[in-house]
Amino acid sequence: MNDAISDTPALRLRGLRKSFGRPAVDGIDLEVRRGELYALLGPNGAGKTTTLRMVTGLLAPDAGQVEVLGIDMARDPAAAKRGMAYLPDDPMLYGKLKPAEYLEFVAGLWGMRAEDAEPRALELLDWLDLTPHAHELTEGFSRGMKQKLALAGALIHAPQLLILDEPLTGLDAAAARQVKDLLLTHVAGGGTVILTTHILEVAERLAQRIGIIRQGRLIAEGTLAELRARTQLGSLEDVFLQLTEDR
Amino acid sequence: MKPAPGSALWLLRHELRLSWFGATLNRGGKRMPGARTLITWTIAWALLHAFAFVLLFKGRVDLSNPQLAIGAGVVLLACATFMLSNALRASVVALFERGDLDLLLSSPLPSRSIFTVRLLGIVAGTAALYLFLFAPFAHVAAVLGRPGWLAIYPAVGAIATLAACAAMLLTLALVRLLGARKTRVIAQVVAAIAGALLFLLSQAYNMVSHDSDPGAGSRLARRVAESSLLGPDSLLWLPGRAARGEALPLLVVVLLAAGAFMLTVGHTHRFFAHGLQQAASMGHARARPRAPLRVHVRRSLLDTIVIKEWRLIWRDPHLISQVLLQLVYLLPLFVLVLRGADTPGPAIGAGLTLLCSSLSSSLAWIVISGEDAPDLLWSAPASRHAIRMGKLAASVMPPLALVAVPLLWLVVRTPVAGLMVCFTVTAAVFGAALIVQWVGRPAPRSDFRARGKENFLCSFLELLNSALWGGLAWLLVSMGGR
Repeated sequence: MNDAISDTPALRLRGLRKSFGRPAVDGIDLEVRRGELYALLGPNGAGKTTTLRMVTGLLAPDAGQVEVLGIDMARDPAAAKRGMAYLPDDPMLYGKLKPAEYLEFVAGLWGMRAEDAEPRALELLDWLDLTPHAHELTEGFSRGMKQKLALAGALIHAPQLLILDEPLTGLDAAAARQVKDLLLTHVAGGGTVILTTHILEVAERLAQRIGIIRQGRLIAEGTLAELRARTQLGSLEDVFLQLTEDR
Repeated sequence: MKPAPGSALWLLRHELRLSWFGATLNRGGKRMPGARTLITWTIAWALLHAFAFVLLFKGRVDLSNPQLAIGAGVVLLACATFMLSNALRASVVALFERGDLDLLLSSPLPSRSIFTVRLLGIVAGTAALYLFLFAPFAHVAAVLGRPGWLAIYPAVGAIATLAACAAMLLTLALVRLLGARKTRVIAQVVAAIAGALLFLLSQAYNMVSHDSDPGAGSRLARRVAESSLLGPDSLLWLPGRAARGEALPLLVVVLLAAGAFMLTVGHTHRFFAHGLQQAASMGHARARPRAPLRVHVRRSLLDTIVIKEWRLIWRDPHLISQVLLQLVYLLPLFVLVLRGADTPGPAIGAGLTLLCSSLSSSLAWIVISGEDAPDLLWSAPASRHAIRMGKLAASVMPPLALVAVPLLWLVVRTPVAGLMVCFTVTAAVFGAALIVQWVGRPAPRSDFRARGKENFLCSFLELLNSALWGGLAWLLVSMGGR
């Protein structure tokens, strides 16, 4: 039984479609294995964020199926969301809350027990160097600090599937390194990470598999080596540009 | 002729253009076509001219009567409080909210020119509405043979200048004394109070004149008019006499304004740059840890949401001041209704119902429409129903707690009527919050004051909710009191 559960992919999309007048996501089939760091790449407006919003239950698909950790999002959204966390490109914070209060709130939303949440929150604040700022309101935080706090919020309930939309935008080198280390630690601990990024070097260095999306369709998928072999090109940048150029 | 790029005049033109765009933004955030806007404003101005003509010519107003200066003085002083309120808001925007000052201060333009232009922009923005309203009267008076009234232009300009200088000096002084963070809040609260001051004073006068002693109001007015402070020769009417075109008062008012402007620019442009630096570093001030760091997770989702919402509101004094100001506007109405009624029960019932309904709809808008992180809530495994219930509780509990004591007093004094008022208050409070939940639209909390314009249906239903439950309270208590 346990084997069956661990064999289920962390995320499975079947024929996912969404249209806003014109198709934004046009029949995506995708499978991300547990313990994998998967990078979803694509030019602006390709449909990455729309796909992630459907995966997280923020947007209802026009057609298709989203299965998170083996649970159908349409049938049991609460159960599907319980093991997942989403970090959008614009951190979802409350300016008038202090970091610990924000984490309290997120822990409450995920129904965590106080005895689990409280040490975890303190640990995350410390880990992300936010403890010295713990008595400040988040409205005064820099972009990097906000992003780190939002990430702490995403990690507080130890999600099995972590979904991040452009997590490194606006971060300085030190903060970016911290976030990358954190993602790798999460994956090493058996968690799954799906991220979108415009920084191809990040995908190249971190991701075990890469999916390239263009005009709402998944046009290529595989490890970096597989993508290189397919296009006969060297860098991910060359591969990406060749696959996504207007034809 | 276009001013030379980089000159103060060029910068002023840029400033006025931005003010114009700001004034003509439509709902979609796009600028309205220039021609359409101009035609609308021109028609409105033509109608104001017609109104002024009917009032002054058909009403046979004696424009040469020196007593008119007192009337004009009262109107201009009243407008000065609104001007001060506008100018304070504009100063806060100039210091804290405009995103272009870093660009301007990093350019080769001297900071003095930037401050001069910014202050002139505030003066123009403050005077524009009042010139639009009063100029038609000046034009009609000129046509009727009293061109002296054209002095309304320099008089209004001078008062706007004085208001803008006072507002900017006050804002900068607050920055120096209290720091940028507190200044922003205090200036906004003072602006809100200044805007309501005139209304409250007029209502206080109304209350005095409707007192049990019917002669009290007129006696007070007569005594005030006879005193040296408000007598016919009072310096307070100087702006009115200036607006009438009396040379000396006009000269005094204009010279005062020019002096204030030069002093403000000459002596405070360095403070201005300093204030900007403080504003820029506002978010980086580190709070001193007062207590060991603790994380306290609540047992239920309802508690979690309610505590979060109340924290957010409690820490936003500007928002609180706006909500309470709304209630302050209702208080005189409540008092008048109470005084006009034969039996106080129905009036108290209706008044409490109206008050609570209004407070509930304001809080519901802040808590529901003004949610800062909706994606966080909807991506959580909590049910939407539970989240909505939490938000509803956060909106309805404060108004109910606020009126709990008066309701209890009413129940003890007249049990049947008291229970009926409890029912209408509760229904109005829940009705108002549910309306926002059903037809409210997401918006940033900073749009609180403009929420009525943004969602007409919601505002209309809220008004209807207040009126219906308030009316029912009156009716039920009247019937129950027999």
